[in-house]
Amino acid sequence: MTTSILTSPKRLTRRQRFSEWVDRQASTLFITPAVVLILVFSIFPLVASLIIAFSRFRLGAGSYKVRWVGFKNFEKQFFGSEQFHFLGTFKGMSLFGWVVTIAAALLLIWWLYRYCKTRFWWLGFIGRIISALVFFGIVLLFSATLLSGTQFGTLGVTLFYVFVGCALQFGIGLGIALLCAQPIRGRTFFRVLFFIPLMITPIGIGYAFRMLADTTKGPFSPVWQWAGLGDFSWATDPWAARIFIVIGDSWQWIPFVFIILLAALENIPKDQQEAAEVDGASGWQIFREITWPQLLPVAATVMLIRMIEAFKLVDLPNIMTAGGPGIATESMSLHSYFAWRSLDLGQSAAIAYLLLFVTVVLCVSFFNYVVIGKLRQAA
Amino acid sequence: MQSSATEDAKRLSLRNLNKSFGSVHVVKDLSIEIEPGEFLVLLGPSGCGKTTALRMVAGLETVDSGSIELGGEDITNALPKYRDIAMVFQSYALYPHKTVAENMGFPLKVAGVARADVDAAVRETAAQVHMIEYLDRFPRELSGGQRQRVALGRAMIRRPYAFLMDEPLSNLDAKLRGHMRAELKHMQHDLGTTTIYVTHDQIEAMTLAHRVAIMNEGVLQQLGTPREVYDQPATLFVAGFMGSPPMNFVHGSIDNQRFTSTNVNLPVSANGSSVKSVLGFRPEDSEVGVAGSGLFDATVFASEQTGEYTLVTVVLGDDTMTIKMPRDFDAAIHSSVSVSFPTDKGFLFDKVSGNRESIHLVGG
Amino acid sequence: MAYIRKRTLLNRIFEAPAIGKMAPGTALFVYACLLFWTLVVAFPLYWILITSLKTAQDVNGGPFFIPWVDFTPSLHAWKELFVFDYEDTLRSYTNSIVIALLSTLLCISVGSMAAYALARITYKPKFGNILLFVIAMIAGMYTTWKFGVDWKLTIAAAVAVWFLLVRSIGRFFKKSVGNGDILFWMISQRILPPIVTVVPIYMMFQNLKLLDTHIALILTYTVVNLPIVVWLMYDFMNSIPIELEESAQLDGASRLRTFWEIVLPLAKPGLAATTLLVLILAWNEYILAVFLSTSNAQTIPILVSAMNAGERGILWWSMCVVIIIMIIPVVFMAILLQRFISKGVLLGAVKG
Repeated sequence: MTTSILTSPKRLTRRQRFSEWVDRQASTLFITPAVVLILVFSIFPLVASLIIAFSRFRLGAGSYKVRWVGFKNFEKQFFGSEQFHFLGTFKGMSLFGWVVTIAAALLLIWWLYRYCKTRFWWLGFIGRIISALVFFGIVLLFSATLLSGTQFGTLGVTLFYVFVGCALQFGIGLGIALLCAQPIRGRTFFRVLFFIPLMITPIGIGYAFRMLADTTKGPFSPVWQWAGLGDFSWATDPWAARIFIVIGDSWQWIPFVFIILLAALENIPKDQQEAAEVDGASGWQIFREITWPQLLPVAATVMLIRMIEAFKLVDLPNIMTAGGPGIATESMSLHSYFAWRSLDLGQSAAIAYLLLFVTVVLCVSFFNYVVIGKLRQAA
Repeated sequence: MQSSATEDAKRLSLRNLNKSFGSVHVVKDLSIEIEPGEFLVLLGPSGCGKTTALRMVAGLETVDSGSIELGGEDITNALPKYRDIAMVFQSYALYPHKTVAENMGFPLKVAGVARADVDAAVRETAAQVHMIEYLDRFPRELSGGQRQRVALGRAMIRRPYAFLMDEPLSNLDAKLRGHMRAELKHMQHDLGTTTIYVTHDQIEAMTLAHRVAIMNEGVLQQLGTPREVYDQPATLFVAGFMGSPPMNFVHGSIDNQRFTSTNVNLPVSANGSSVKSVLGFRPEDSEVGVAGSGLFDATVFASEQTGEYTLVTVVLGDDTMTIKMPRDFDAAIHSSVSVSFPTDKGFLFDKVSGNRESIHLVGG
Repeated sequence: MAYIRKRTLLNRIFEAPAIGKMAPGTALFVYACLLFWTLVVAFPLYWILITSLKTAQDVNGGPFFIPWVDFTPSLHAWKELFVFDYEDTLRSYTNSIVIALLSTLLCISVGSMAAYALARITYKPKFGNILLFVIAMIAGMYTTWKFGVDWKLTIAAAVAVWFLLVRSIGRFFKKSVGNGDILFWMISQRILPPIVTVVPIYMMFQNLKLLDTHIALILTYTVVNLPIVVWLMYDFMNSIPIELEESAQLDGASRLRTFWEIVLPLAKPGLAATTLLVLILAWNEYILAVFLSTSNAQTIPILVSAMNAGERGILWWSMCVVIIIMIIPVVFMAILLQRFISKGVLLGAVKG
């Protein structure tokens, strides 16, 4: 007969009782710090920011005055004196603009109609209506500015950074990931080297690209001189400046797409590829039939993460072009930052809130209509 | 051997194949001639090089030296897709994002076969592997046995020259394994397709194979029909690997035409190639009796009832032996018993080289 | 039927001779692309390095590429920052180190605790209680805004009232939210552009007289990076076999002890990766530092942009020195990290 070496105490000491109480509260203790931190530094500022967005805010000596102004701050962005800055300059719509707008409208209506036909859930329907309206607004915005020959504002610039930047980063990131998945020598070397830009401070990248882009003193100036573009400056042409910023942003973020897609590629069981080889598939068939479908869920998730971060882009345009020429490279974050710097807090908060709205609608749409479907397929 | 060999039947020859991974020589000088329609099993413990050999035949592994020929044509360096062979992987390698029908139709689809023909072939093959009701399912919705059938179907659909199977039954539970084994044998017989089958399970090898090739540490130990391999093991390794429970061994020495060990002293027909020797006999060929009445005496270690028979484990010096006795037999632990077997069922092996000696016990 | 097709010239160039090998044509293309991308990645870094060795004349006099060949490298910028101006440099550098390390420590401990709790403990906060909390907060803020009561007081009052309400009428609420909702709520905080929250945070710290201190930046960075930690660690925690924790609990260990002695050591690889990632994000952060620090808590990215402020234009050489000393520790971390990060994020990405 054996006896336990632990004898059970008849009476708990005060310390034991305390530790038992702590243990019972463990579920609360574990999560409270995170919840409190988020409430204080994320939710409270969010609500406060909303209040500021509806107020006129004046910083005085040591104190501030707040006055409720309703939707004035927002009105100003959409219809008032700041319209050119936020949305862009409107001078009537071109024919091509009309065609694109109407086509988009029809397409969205057809999409909604198809949703109603296949399955209907009122919350899903409302969500789709909001998405459709925002998409239509975006198409309308670009039709009325870009396609009608006028300049778009910070909203358009932000969307340009998000869509063009993400597309570029995905394309090149996938390309290098595929290259590195080949049986190459020095794979680890390339992996580490290609990963490094992600780790470098955006501000350093901003200034480094300013040096590189200098057409008179930068390293590529001989090329520019030779091409007869010695007087050309990236920072004075709106489109050149925007592309310039997208290049800087992509240089930093391609590694992120690359490293995750490469891991996903390596994660696809090798025997599937071998089975396809034995079954007679060519390299391209293997990619299209085996690799690509299994890469999609990861690709969609990576692009979602990239989109979320791209909406926040602020340091690069600030450093590389300071938003110029004019407002050509000013993202909404930068717009809001400039408004804050000129102490117009109400404006700043209103723009920030508009940015939040666009970000949430587009990211949630992308998540709901693209990512979830792909993940469900994979699960 | 029942083979559906036709006029243009081709034989698959592996000639002096060698393969090393770094400094590890995994396949050493492997040469096998495989007849058309033959079911050949590569048998051996894990890491013996059998899977590597199979992958070389498939073209998934390059060959260091030697050649693979198919009907006199050298395919050593041909890409897998030009070899007209199909493979069933241990993990089945089903494409998770494709349905059963898409998985099975894939080899035809990539070959550019018209859609309608692919569908027809898929239905026909699915019927053969009893998967016709599951064509729209995804692999994750199938049981292990069903996945196995899909993998088989995908291999069959192309009517390839040869099937290569890499431990296809190892992921199934015991009951299903027995069932699938019978189906495989039946199917291979009907199709008459040359099959190379890799396994570490000697029951599978015995039941399925026309011929078994036993490998150890990259070296082919013995190639022969299951009967031959079982009854005439060429080496100590083959003898110890085949059979369940495996062959018993008594380590001793041969001197003056006598095999001696602890408590053992038996006459043999001649002296062996070296002094150190091993005497082997199968559990089912031997029996235990009253001490002093058999070939030698040993002590009972345990006596286990399996229901079908009784396994008696006895200890002799450093050797442990298992003897299969009728199910009503019982022996007390620690008691002393005799062990006996017909002298022509005893095998003598050279301890040093592992090869079987051509000598035998002399009846006494 | 011939098993080996005749290999045409095109075949010979672009079709692999065997599995695991590349055809000459493919190999040429692949290595050319890799070389090109290597240049794209390395050239900006190289340019930063050589610019830090240039004098003003070298920078302004047109492009010079190779030290000792077309210009004479000088260490004047390095000397300036490390000998004459070393106080400023050192302060920014130590500020950055302290802020990055402490915020990472805080973020990791708070985040992994929350992640563990969400992975293992079932939470069922009542929907009504959450609603009450929001109402109490808005009421509190409204009071501050309308009547000018000190905001700290109203917040405390609101929390107290909410607590009493939960204790009294909380049990009548039926609907509750689950772990998944809490997890989503925490992770979704990452969507918030910092610009939305930074102004109120700025005002809050101003009010608490904490502007331009380490604490302000540490706390803000912690919250900004918290979603990443929760997201990544949740998956790592989930991948730990629950049997280990159950056996620890049967052996009489408390939750805290289980977490400390069983879970954390097992989650080490994930913890290491997440730590490095958060550390780098905190190290590189710029826009929040612009808002919340001026001179005292100035971090190193601010020092970089400070090289742009003088009346002499941009001091490219000094700026490059600062960028280099910022990059060096990060490159080492990148080498450590690249294997981890892909695995970690992949885990999250595939599981959703």
